[in-house]
Amino acid sequence: MALRAPEPVADAASPVRKGITRRQALAAAVATGVGVGAVRLLGGTIQNLSHTSAANGMDWVSPLGRESARVMQLLRRTSFGYTRAQLDAALSDGYSKTVDRLLETKPAEPPVLAAAATPGGRFGVPEIQQWWVGHMLTTPTPFAERMTLFWHGHFTSDYRKTANNTFMYWQNLTWRRMGMTDVRSMLMQVTTDPAMLRYLDLATSTGQSPNENYSRELMELFTMGAGNYSEEDVRQSAKALAGWQQPPPDSIATVTVDKAKMVTQKLPVYNAQRSGIFNPRRAYKGTVTYLGHTGPLDTQGVLDAILAQKATAPFIAAKVAQHFVTSQPSPSYVAGLGDTFRRSRYDMKTLMRAVFTSPEFTADASYRALLKSPAEFMVHGARALGATSLSKLIVAAGSGMGQSLFDPPDVNGWPNNAAWVSSNTVVERVNFVTLALAQTKGSLPSATDAARTHLDGVVGPQTANLLNQAPDERTRWFVTLASPEFQLK
Amino acid sequence: MNKEIGINQLKRRDFLRAGLVFGAGAAGLAAGYAAVPDAFARAVFAAKQNGMANDNVLVMIQLAGGNDGLRTLVPLTDPTLHDLRPKLAGPMVSQALPLTKDFGLNHNLGGIKSLWDQGKVAMVQGVGYPNPTFSHFESIRIWETGDPTRRQVDGWLGRTLAKAYDSNGHPLTGCACGTTDVPGALRDLQATMTVIQNQKTFGFTGGSEVEAAVGALYKGTPGIYGALFDTAIATANDTIATLRTSSASYQPMADYTDKVQLVYSSKNQLAAALQLAAELIVTGTGVKLLHVTLGGFDTHYTELNRHDDLMGYLDSAVSAFYKDLAAHGKADKVLIATWSEFGRRPKENASGGTDHGAAAPLLLIGDPVQGGLYGSEPSLTSLDSTGNLKFAVDFRSVYQEILGGHLGADSNEILGASFDRIPFLKAPVAVL
Repeated sequence: MALRAPEPVADAASPVRKGITRRQALAAAVATGVGVGAVRLLGGTIQNLSHTSAANGMDWVSPLGRESARVMQLLRRTSFGYTRAQLDAALSDGYSKTVDRLLETKPAEPPVLAAAATPGGRFGVPEIQQWWVGHMLTTPTPFAERMTLFWHGHFTSDYRKTANNTFMYWQNLTWRRMGMTDVRSMLMQVTTDPAMLRYLDLATSTGQSPNENYSRELMELFTMGAGNYSEEDVRQSAKALAGWQQPPPDSIATVTVDKAKMVTQKLPVYNAQRSGIFNPRRAYKGTVTYLGHTGPLDTQGVLDAILAQKATAPFIAAKVAQHFVTSQPSPSYVAGLGDTFRRSRYDMKTLMRAVFTSPEFTADASYRALLKSPAEFMVHGARALGATSLSKLIVAAGSGMGQSLFDPPDVNGWPNNAAWVSSNTVVERVNFVTLALAQTKGSLPSATDAARTHLDGVVGPQTANLLNQAPDERTRWFVTLASPEFQLK
Repeated sequence: MNKEIGINQLKRRDFLRAGLVFGAGAAGLAAGYAAVPDAFARAVFAAKQNGMANDNVLVMIQLAGGNDGLRTLVPLTDPTLHDLRPKLAGPMVSQALPLTKDFGLNHNLGGIKSLWDQGKVAMVQGVGYPNPTFSHFESIRIWETGDPTRRQVDGWLGRTLAKAYDSNGHPLTGCACGTTDVPGALRDLQATMTVIQNQKTFGFTGGSEVEAAVGALYKGTPGIYGALFDTAIATANDTIATLRTSSASYQPMADYTDKVQLVYSSKNQLAAALQLAAELIVTGTGVKLLHVTLGGFDTHYTELNRHDDLMGYLDSAVSAFYKDLAAHGKADKVLIATWSEFGRRPKENASGGTDHGAAAPLLLIGDPVQGGLYGSEPSLTSLDSTGNLKFAVDFRSVYQEILGGHLGADSNEILGASFDRIPFLKAPVAVL
């Protein structure tokens, strides 16, 4: 298919484009009709750059040859969206300086959650959900929040079983502080994390009668992947890991839980964040044979045995690649990242730098190869609108799209990419846009520029068509945020 | 990860070719449906009947997390149970509802017990597969794909949709109720299915105007996710229109209640999901395969009350569902079957719970069922090397009977092999 010549636009000289002309829309419609080529908005013209893909006949035209497009993709994948000013700052820094800034900037701490002082952590989960989303919406270091969300889905726990929202709050603070450190330290932390001790039952396991829940998921989901250890290893490390208990509280509060019946309960109060404590009386006294080694083994010994396994670094690297680069990373790419990661002693900064500077990260094939998770989609949308007060809506709307923070579907955390799409979730994504626009009072940022700022100026024929027909700014924002382009990153 | 395989091979469902009202274009969808609701329902149903053996319906209930078979169908007379489970065995045996001399149902399954008394409940004992995995996710995938060798990617019900029914995109032939994602059992790149989390809120805020705009926006979407998106939106629009019709004509004839205390980690409202299933069945939408989930069965700790509560919740939801179907004269068409990725360890742990196990019983409920116990009871004294119950019946024997006997589908084509028969149906529709 030949390139269609760029069409001149009447007001091409004007610095502010008024939108897409009717003639261009027709050109776009023709492109749809013949079933080839996505439309690319470039400096006031539409070019129909044909691009044939094997299955569907149409693919996005990658703009990643331009550094500005690479910077925008980097931001989409490492942040929760941006305002025009944030984008301009990154564009003037350029790609490699932006990578440095992402990796080297210390995470901004969220405000203290006052409810966390509630005895027994008995405050409503919406409080902690809105607290986190509120921080996502306003933080100057969104990459720290993206990593916190990644680890929340990896070393996952949920509020239902943990049944103490103070512990969930601590776990969230932990991943923000530790998310870019090293996995050896993180594994020790997650093993003794109070929420995790409850979530996977290690707090009630004993050497004499071990509970296998944590032992299994530590290997299957956190470090090595199924098939790289035996059932006997699960049993043996269940023994070796037993003995951890919840931290003792600083004091006990007597709380009235039912005023009418005068029912009171004694609940723990903590003055500061704590980790679990080890009780040798509950531990296993003998030797174990674990991952090929026989002898007495403590928790650090179990973790070091896991870190010595060949499967561990590629397993974590693959998960990072699927989250940040492509849904189907090649085995050689994963192996390369895994090598770098292992040689760095599981240093996350080294791994993430390798990811962001790898050719795969900015290859044309990576363009729009990932789907935004519901949280990313919604926060990005709200930030694009400059609406920082939508945390309540974002929390409420998440469940219909399959993502409630602090409440993952299971111990495997959240899925990636295609698994986010169903007839239910697409409707809920659109409904979020409708409600977000309804709740955003006052003036919106200019939508004229939105397709360029948030969609790289690369839009499909249908989106171009609807943007053209949009009678006002709100409709144009609706089309932009509800479009398939905006669901991708 | 596995869900990603082949996503770029997904074919665009061609709704235009289905020959229904889609020819009017997205903008005409809502208006067209609203104007001729009955004609639409009839047209869909008639179109779907082509190529279908019968109008039977299957409802699969997933008991997610690994249901404790020993606490579902309780061995009443085996003393070993008390040695293995000093904390858990006593109450579960003394309170059980006896079915035979040796077995009783969990005491909270009273509604299902009364269906048993009417000959409408079959229990297949000792169901599993060789070399069991104790990973939730691997075992779920095995049950969903019907393939213990883990090569198959598509779900067994998805393959049924694609192979036995039209694969040309009638979205409501397969439907997952009460969830947001497509369950693995229903997944097949060549099949279209619907997901409805909550029927009351399913639809576009802003109504038909938004519906039309979104229909126009998601057409011919480029890229690897394009077909997936377009299909999901077209499916949603079709389903919204169908629900508009079916909701108007459906009156529940049973009391579905989700007022029970939900047990961790059930977040699914099972009763509401089954009520939606009933609505789809009794209003003639042409639905064939339904999937609902009740979570919370991963009872590693304090299992006693938690599992009893789950049984009670299952019982009340299924009882209401059956009653509703019967009152609408549809009970003879519907087979209800439970599944779970594994049973639990016969020996209890320090947390008053049980770890991941292997073989367990399945429940089959409904008028098409020939009531009774099938398979064979697993021995508590001859456990496998991991301390788990040995399986007696391959789970695909149960699938085979469902596919051939109830749905009239070619089970050999769908499962890729044939298995020993477990004749739990009164009148199987096809020779197996």
